[in-house]
Amino acid sequence: MSKIKGFCCNYTLSVEVDALKEEGLVPEDLEIERLPCTGRLEVPEILDAFTQGAEAVFVVGCQVDKCHNLSGSYRASKRVKYAKKILEELDMNPDLVEMFFAGRGETEPVVEAARTMASRA
Amino acid sequence: MIIAERKPMKELLEMVSDVKKLLIVGCRGCVAVCSAGGDKEVSILSAALRLGVKRAGGEIEIHEDTLVRQCDPEYIDPLNDKGAKYDAVLSMACGVGVNFVADRCPDVNVLPALNTTFYGANLSSGEWKEMCAGCGACVLHLTGGLCPVARCAKSLSNGPCGGSQGGRCEINPDVDCIWQQIYDKLSSMNRKEELRQIMPMRDWTTAGHGGPRRRIREDLLP
Ligand code: SF4
Ligand code: SF4
Repeated sequence: MSKIKGFCCNYTLSVEVDALKEEGLVPEDLEIERLPCTGRLEVPEILDAFTQGAEAVFVVGCQVDKCHNLSGSYRASKRVKYAKKILEELDMNPDLVEMFFAGRGETEPVVEAARTMASRA
Repeated sequence: MIIAERKPMKELLEMVSDVKKLLIVGCRGCVAVCSAGGDKEVSILSAALRLGVKRAGGEIEIHEDTLVRQCDPEYIDPLNDKGAKYDAVLSMACGVGVNFVADRCPDVNVLPALNTTFYGANLSSGEWKEMCAGCGACVLHLTGGLCPVARCAKSLSNGPCGGSQGGRCEINPDVDCIWQQIYDKLSSMNRKEELRQIMPMRDWTTAGHGGPRRRIREDLLP
């Protein structure tokens, strides 16, 4: 498992992660999992990413009011909130998981999110 | 419904510290509706325990299951054989379910994952409020439907105590004085005169003060 794990929806990241790595825009140990919608993401998947070795986990979904599936990214943000609570209960830094929002097909916020999380890990 | 909430992770990790093989069993009844112990919460707790145990340097094998209810024999009796294959069964039902598993599944080491808190209603997503204390002698017909047993901090029967100020309870300004609300409700229904009638002293044996309660309906017995 890469040290930084990101979950993105189909509508945010439009570039291959390897291309971003080649350009040195994101950390080498970044792994991104694409979901049809971040609303599909459940708390256990976030926690399991840590169990499998991730040091920081982030989720990038559509802007809340422009979600392709209406409320998917809003739901994802609530799950991230609960995952933070569990990390806290386990004496882990809750900032090791974070929700970010991006416009359709925007790569930059994803790159920014990956860098932010790499600095927290 | 019965409202419950997950115990803190530290308490749960301590509880399963010697457990190598664990079965987490949810309940699709009340605790699923109040988002404390249904299918979803089972898988979250399972993932949280895996992470917690790993961080503590331990190992645990966790399996998941959810029953329709844990307060009916037909659903929990099969758990005796299944649960006996595990070091422990962590029940995500209310205390009723945990007790019933303990009573009927002698080969199972059952542990509680939740704190059972009260009988309440769902005010909005993520917010529940106590409404009834199961006193066994309901007086709501006298109080405009508002419960003075569960919703008055002192369970008073004949009006507010001296600490009722501005419609708020003296225990906490965020808590409504239910007797003020009863008065307002009966007034709005032109029934306020009924409050002059003194409620007799209550017999609390029906409320559990006379020991564990049991209800029998002859016509339904097998
Ligand atoms: S075991 Fe408890 S939570 Fe589950 S259905 Fe029965 S009363 Fe409700
Ligand atoms: S009077 Fe008793 S039974 Fe009726 S709502 Fe209050 S606690 Fe429940």
